[in-house]
Amino acid sequence: MIITSFPLIGILLLFMTAFVMPLIKTKSLIKFLSMASFFVCCALFLISLEYTINNGSYLYKIGHFNAPYGIEFKVGIIECIIAVLFAFVSLMVTWYSCYNIEHDISEGKIPLYYLLVHVLVGSLLGIVLSNDMFNVYVFIEIGNLASCGIVVIKDNKDNIKAGMKYLIMSSLGSGLVLLGIAFLYSMTGHLNMTYIQKTLAITYMNYPNAIFITIGLFTVGLGVKSAMFPLHTWLPDAHASAPASSSAILSSLVLKAYIIFLLKVLYRVIGMDIISLSPILNIILVVGSLGMIMGSVLAIYQKHIKKIIAYSSVAQLGYIFFSIGLGTKLGIIMCIYHIIGHAVTKAALFLCSGAIMENIGEKDVTKLKGAGKEMPYTFAMFFIASLSMIGIPVFPGFISKWYMALATIEVGKPTLIILLLASSLLNAVYYLPVIINAFFVKDNLDDKIYKSKEKSKKELIPISILIAAVLFTGIASYSIIELISAGISIGGI
Amino acid sequence: MERLLTNYFETASVVLFVIGFVTLLLHNNLIKKIIGLNIMDTAVMLFLMAKGYINGRFAPIIIDEFKGVSGYINPIPSSLMLTGIVVAVSTTAFLLAITVKIHEKFGTIEVNEIIDKENEVR
Repeated sequence: MIITSFPLIGILLLFMTAFVMPLIKTKSLIKFLSMASFFVCCALFLISLEYTINNGSYLYKIGHFNAPYGIEFKVGIIECIIAVLFAFVSLMVTWYSCYNIEHDISEGKIPLYYLLVHVLVGSLLGIVLSNDMFNVYVFIEIGNLASCGIVVIKDNKDNIKAGMKYLIMSSLGSGLVLLGIAFLYSMTGHLNMTYIQKTLAITYMNYPNAIFITIGLFTVGLGVKSAMFPLHTWLPDAHASAPASSSAILSSLVLKAYIIFLLKVLYRVIGMDIISLSPILNIILVVGSLGMIMGSVLAIYQKHIKKIIAYSSVAQLGYIFFSIGLGTKLGIIMCIYHIIGHAVTKAALFLCSGAIMENIGEKDVTKLKGAGKEMPYTFAMFFIASLSMIGIPVFPGFISKWYMALATIEVGKPTLIILLLASSLLNAVYYLPVIINAFFVKDNLDDKIYKSKEKSKKELIPISILIAAVLFTGIASYSIIELISAGISIGGI
Repeated sequence: MERLLTNYFETASVVLFVIGFVTLLLHNNLIKKIIGLNIMDTAVMLFLMAKGYINGRFAPIIIDEFKGVSGYINPIPSSLMLTGIVVAVSTTAFLLAITVKIHEKFGTIEVNEIIDKENEVR
C-alpha cells in the first residue's frame, strides 16, 4: 500500500526540496516551491491521519529491513495529528514570510533561509515519527543546527549572541540525551524503542540506579531544549531577536517536538511501571508549576513585545510539563491538546508582533499607545490570540486549563488549581495592557490616522487563517480530545 | 572502589564527561567552552565504544579472510559513533563560525567582557 509510505515521503520531500533551494536563482520560485512542498506535506499527513484513524497505528519498516536491525517509523494517530499540525503551521508561517522576509534578512541569504526551514521542519517530523533512539538523536542534532541557523541568519549583534547561547545550551542538552541513549543501549542492547521496552520490562530489577540516572539524563537533556523552567535562559533572547517568521517556528514547533520525544521516552521506552517507581513525575510537576508562575512573573517586567511573548512561552511550557507531571491519561491528553492549541496561538502572536514591529517601527510596548487605530486588524488578531493565552472560554487555552484542573482533582491534588488560576491572572496582567494601550488610551488616538499603517490584505490572510485555526481548535475541542484519547488507548503514546 | 577499577572505561568516560561539562559551563573564553563541549562528546563516544568492545577480538573489518562471527567485536556502537563524530564535527564547525562572528561584532571572545560591553551600551 502506497498510503503507508506517505509519512516517509513527506519527510523526504522536505529534505530533497531543501537542498534544491540554493540552486534556484529566482526568489519567487523559491517561495512558491517552499509553500508547495509544505502544502503537499500537510496533505500527505492528513491522508495518513485518516488512514490511521480507520486502520489503527502501524510500524513502517524503512528499506524493508526487519525490526531490531532496521529503522522503523511508528505511525499512530497522535504522531499524525502532530505531523499535520507541524506541516500546517509551517505552511502558514512560510506564506507570511513570503511577503516580508526581505525586511529581516539580506537578499543573498533567502535561499539559505528556506533551506534551513525545510531541514528544520523535516527533522522535527522525524523526531515525532521515528521509533529508533539513535535515529531520533541524529534528527535532534540536525534540528539543533538548523534552529540556531534561523536565529543567526539575521546578521545582528543580538542575534549572534543569542544564537551562541542557544547553540551551547542545546549542544549540552544533546550531549546528555546521547549519554542517556548510551545507558539504554548498554542495559538492553537495543536501539529500537519497542525492543528496549520489552527487554527493560524483564530486566529492570537488575539496574535500579542506572534506570533512574537514565530518566534523569533524558529529562534534563530534553528539558534544556524545550525550555523547562530553570533551564529556559536561552529562550527569551533567541526568540526575541530572531526574524518574526523564525521565532514563530521556533516557539510553536521546535520546543514541542522535544516534548513529544520526552513523552515517548517516558511512556513508550521506559514504561509506566518503572516510571511510577521513581520520583520523576513529581519533579516534572514541580518544575512545571514553577515555570507557569515564574515565566509569567518575568514576562511582566519586560518592555520588548517579543520578549513578553517569549516569556509567555516559558509559562505555557510550564502548563505542558505540569500536565505531563500529573501522570494520568487525562494529563497526557491535555499535554498534547495544549501543544496543539499553543502552537497555533503562539505562531499567530509572533507573526502579529512581527507585523507591528515592522510597520510601526517600535518594539517597546509602552510606546505602542494608540497604535490600534493605525493597525486595527493586526491588533484585533493579537487580541484574540492573547485571549486564548489568558484562557477565556471557547478558546483552546481555557479548555486545556479546565481539563488540567479536572485532572488535578482526579489525582487528588486540588490545591494545585490555585497555581493554574494564579498563572491565568498573571497572563492577563501582561497581555491586556498591550491591547488597552493600543485601543483605549484616549489622548493618543487623536493624531493617529485610521488604518494608516495597516498591512495589506494579502499579508493578513495567513495570520487570519491561524486565528481561524485557534477558534477551530477551541470549538472542535470535544472531537479533538476524543481523537487524542483514541490514539493513546490504541498503542501507548 | 573496586567496582570503579573493574569498570575503568566507564569511570574514565564519566570523569571526562564531568570535566567537559564544567569547562563548558564555567569558562569565560568561548574557544575553551567549545573544547569542553568536544571533551564531553568524546566521553560519550568512549562510553559507547567500550560497551561494544570484547577483549581479545578484532575490529569488525574483513581483511583477506572471514574469521567467523566470534572473531570480531560488536560493530553497532562503532558505527553509531561514526555518526556521532560527524555530528560533533559539524556542531564544532558551526560554533567556531559563530565565534568568528562574535569576534567581528564585539571585538572579544570572553563572555564576561561581552556582557560588560552590553551593560555599558545600556
